[in-house]
Amino acid sequence: MKLLEIKNISKSFLNKKVLDGINLEIEGGEISSIFGYSGEGKSTMLKIICGILKQDCGDVILNAKNINNLESYERRTPLVMDEPLLFPNMNVIENIKFGLKLNINKRNLINNIGKNKKIFYSPREIMELLGITGLEKRYPSEISMGQAQRVSLARALIVNPEIILMDEPFSNLDIISKTKVRKLIKDVNRELKISILLVTHDIEDVVNLSDKMFILNDGKIQDSGHPKEVLRKPSSIDTAFLIGTENILGGVISEIDRNNNLIKVKVKVRNGNTHTGVIMEADFQGNFETGEQVFLAVRPEEIIILREDREASKPVRENRLSGKIISSIFTSRMMEISIKSEENLELKVLIPFHAYEVMHLFEGKTVKVSLKKSSIHLIKKKKTVKNSISP
Amino acid sequence: MPLNKNKIFDILVYIISFLFFATLILLLSGIFFQTSIHIFMKELKDVGLWNSIFLSFKLSFIVIIINLIIGIPIAYVLSFKKGKISFLLDLISALPLTTSPLVVGFAVLITMGSLNPIGKFFIDNGIKFVFTPQGIVLVQLIISFPFFVNIVKTSFDSINRKMLNLSKTLGASSFDVLFKIIIPLSYNGIIAGLAMSWSRSIGEYAATQMVSGVIPKITETAPIEVFVKTSYGNYPAAITIAGILMIISLFFLGIFKYFNYKIKTNA
Repeated sequence: MKLLEIKNISKSFLNKKVLDGINLEIEGGEISSIFGYSGEGKSTMLKIICGILKQDCGDVILNAKNINNLESYERRTPLVMDEPLLFPNMNVIENIKFGLKLNINKRNLINNIGKNKKIFYSPREIMELLGITGLEKRYPSEISMGQAQRVSLARALIVNPEIILMDEPFSNLDIISKTKVRKLIKDVNRELKISILLVTHDIEDVVNLSDKMFILNDGKIQDSGHPKEVLRKPSSIDTAFLIGTENILGGVISEIDRNNNLIKVKVKVRNGNTHTGVIMEADFQGNFETGEQVFLAVRPEEIIILREDREASKPVRENRLSGKIISSIFTSRMMEISIKSEENLELKVLIPFHAYEVMHLFEGKTVKVSLKKSSIHLIKKKKTVKNSISP
Repeated sequence: MPLNKNKIFDILVYIISFLFFATLILLLSGIFFQTSIHIFMKELKDVGLWNSIFLSFKLSFIVIIINLIIGIPIAYVLSFKKGKISFLLDLISALPLTTSPLVVGFAVLITMGSLNPIGKFFIDNGIKFVFTPQGIVLVQLIISFPFFVNIVKTSFDSINRKMLNLSKTLGASSFDVLFKIIIPLSYNGIIAGLAMSWSRSIGEYAATQMVSGVIPKITETAPIEVFVKTSYGNYPAAITIAGILMIISLFFLGIFKYFNYKIKTNA
């Protein structure tokens, strides 16, 4: 059953439309995330769901019940924000128990006992699950950011929420705490069967945690689905940019061969003043016509740099190009390589550092690359594009 | 070591501050030079003196209790409900700070007089504000509550709004938020505000004088007693009461400064 349904929600601030007819559905027991640039109204969305802000129009439906007219304290949709926001006058255990002292939660507890359901967890159980046992008597100023964020999560869990709303919960954490808290959230979701709606601008959070993702851009949900699917097959060029599909090439479909599962696209390349074309082959994808203008999106980690010392296997023979490495940057986990092909196509490639070393790659080296047919995703060219790219 | 410009600057600010403090202390403590321990102790045995001081304490205590009851909601509105109304409320509630206390007292005297429709309404219903203790409470309330409201508002302003919003999503109603979070976090501000308004109310003279009618034991507060004793030429008695008032305000100021300092270090 749908746990949370957002129907046609719009919200404007000072004539700027932040949310424009948002629709989304969230299943119970899942982690869902809303992903988008900063300032795109993701937090506004959460504030509307938990009742801190009122939407201009549209409905919020929780458990098949319209909660538009409920105050935030009646909604049972606790927030966890980017800062822990613990009550400074209370120690850790008092912070966690805060919700239990409130009348509305006491009433809920009594109702649940009547139904013989054990849903409420004791502060001890929650603290144990989150690994913060032993901090009971400490004050918020005496614990680390990562611990405080876990206390914040515990404080939300204790009220037996319908869904926990998280607004960039990792953005202020160092990388170690981040990994830890991410795992804890996954555990909480799995063990307590608690639904979570996460808002983030970090694609890592989305891919790591969520069962379903929504991409919010320009006040609209541009894409939704399982993160892996959305990542591989963005439906619009804006989405493709947003999720880090750095290789986006403009082209025209020259041939569609449904029987052989093939689409050929002539990719335009500007060579000085003249345009030349490179034919690329992709797996068949529906709804395209010959002669149609399209974009090809290829994720940088899907491009293969061929090893010189080995015979190429079948897939890597597809869409072969030869080019020169024009730059290579060491990022925290991967090497980010820019390659300029002989045809003047520029491609970004991500490979693990050890591969970079094993293959003796360096700037200026000429390499062969392959774009697998299955890795090329076609996007219809219909909307005006924010970031300019040469078609 | 040669004097550079910064040294000269330091010396100048210290000299000016020191001169000012010395003058102020001399002026205020000067009254004690004209008395002796012996006279002081003798005057302390005067029942009239204690009557006026107890009266001042009693009335100002009532004033701060009313302040506490109405001041917190007003401070709440001013701090959390920002809008056109709160601006107006802010303006009106701060007006007594800039208006002469004499004018405030005069306004109450006229408004609550029997010739005024408002005053007539109250008098007809058996409530008299002119020449009565409740009249004194009323004017002292008007004079002192801006101090309380302002300090409490400042204290409310320093509370993290995101934290309050978050607490609502945990199930806290506005009552819970006020009593379980806002007030506990503002204890220092509330105590500082109470000390300030109490001190202001105990020492209030001009407005009180307008509505008091100087009835011994009933409306003759300590500051009025100082004036009355002075006008009779009974300086030793006036000095004694003035001395006690000064010690009281020093005490309240101490409380205020202590808790005000704590607000700042907390925020």
